[in-house]
Amino acid sequence: MSEQYPIAEKIPTEVLEAEVKQLEALKAKPPLFRLGGYLRMGGPGFMDSALTLGAGTMTAAMLSGAIFGYKTMWILWVSMGIGMFMMAAMARFTCRGGIPIIAAQKKYHGWIVGGLMTALIGNVAVAVIFNYGQVSLGTHLIESLTPLIGFEFPRQINWVLYMAVTSVIVLSYGRKGRRGIKFVESFMKVSIGIMLLCFGACLVLVGVNWSEFFRGIFIPWLPSGVEGLDLFIASSAAAIGVMDWVFFNYAGLARGWGKKHESLARFDIFIGLFLPFILVNYLVLSVFAGTLHQQGIHPETAPELAQALMPLLGHTWSQVLFYIGFLAIPITTTVGISLAGAIAIHEAFGWKPNVNSWRWRICVLLPQIGFLAVWYPRPVWLVIAIGAFLSLTNNIVGWSFYLLFNDKRVLGENKNRSYIWNLGILLQVTLINCIAIIYVFNRLGWWIK
Amino acid sequence: MVDKMIDLDGRIGPLPARAWGLILNFIGNALAVYGGIGFMQDGSRLPILIIGVAMTLVCLLVLAKPSK
Repeated sequence: MSEQYPIAEKIPTEVLEAEVKQLEALKAKPPLFRLGGYLRMGGPGFMDSALTLGAGTMTAAMLSGAIFGYKTMWILWVSMGIGMFMMAAMARFTCRGGIPIIAAQKKYHGWIVGGLMTALIGNVAVAVIFNYGQVSLGTHLIESLTPLIGFEFPRQINWVLYMAVTSVIVLSYGRKGRRGIKFVESFMKVSIGIMLLCFGACLVLVGVNWSEFFRGIFIPWLPSGVEGLDLFIASSAAAIGVMDWVFFNYAGLARGWGKKHESLARFDIFIGLFLPFILVNYLVLSVFAGTLHQQGIHPETAPELAQALMPLLGHTWSQVLFYIGFLAIPITTTVGISLAGAIAIHEAFGWKPNVNSWRWRICVLLPQIGFLAVWYPRPVWLVIAIGAFLSLTNNIVGWSFYLLFNDKRVLGENKNRSYIWNLGILLQVTLINCIAIIYVFNRLGWWIK
Repeated sequence: MVDKMIDLDGRIGPLPARAWGLILNFIGNALAVYGGIGFMQDGSRLPILIIGVAMTLVCLLVLAKPSK
């Protein structure tokens, strides 16, 4: 299992060795210099945050801001913080032994857990079904943005542009060895930068109630009763899940990361995943807390929320900025989930990923079927079925990762030795357990109505 | 105490001890949620809630022990 991941095979050994030397040289540099170097060399963490910051997460942030104001901001860092333990475990699998996590699951826990629950349900089905939401939001945003800059571009036509841009980017991944990977990673980094700049500018315009802001971050508050329990469990378990864990592992393997990259991987998880996720969510939530919440306006869908915000932003340029920042969200998520889905299909069936093969291209473009979202809503029965499978299997995938992380046969001497690390992983597993339990209780009619 | 009595690296029947621990934790979580629903609705099921929370805590604290 220690042989190099096929996508990384195209990276010349000299390049990997040079990167290791650069990392070692960085250790002796002052913190600011090191930060710059790590930012340049990081990537999989940024890919993960760009994937996670999708239509669903943004709708949740906008709704939380519009309904509860700043009060639920603490949930974001708590839930992402709990998720960091599992992400660090993924860095360990990647850097110590180059272990592809799904292959390890298939070997030690069987195909049902690795191939079916993790790869096909946790990644492929999610990629295909959830891309409907991304395309729907992305095309809505293009349709709303273009009149502000002087022309009409309805979604019945602009889906072609959305599909073309995202397809070109996903097809670039891994091509020409390191360059293709670097291109996609840089695209994700720049997109996150655009989100931060655009939403940041809108927030400056709207203004922040700083005392409420800091209270929201540091003082836990939940709506009373079952609504609060629902909100906390759903937010905590949904911040990062199976796809983020798996994708980070494989994106690191595709970079050829080894033992000496583990500190970079951990930095990447914090600076690339944790911080952008928290900051983008804080900015969006604060914009809505400072506007729609004050006015008592609570639309339910993302396009409605965005449209309701526009008159409150005032200037046309600020509306354009908001739409541009917002558009980066579905685009990067489509790119991320398409790659995660393609990697997972290959792992489920034991295929060697070759980015130049037709099989890879078909797999990576499979989620593009989401273009149908322009005319039809997602098939409800399919969403319900996938939601049920996900709710009932995600926790078992978490169990499997915890067991592998503590298994000497898998990681040898590099297996986990930290009590706190295990406790953090178990906390996240417990939250995902609660999602499965609540799903079953809902079906049985035991959950509070 | 409990973790000294249980060999987490060994097997109990068809599954590793840790896997049984995860199953017990899941049962504890289910009891805690079931008890919590009753308690929030009408103040009932408090014993179930306490047993569920206690089971969850014990499982987490025991299972967090790294293997030897």
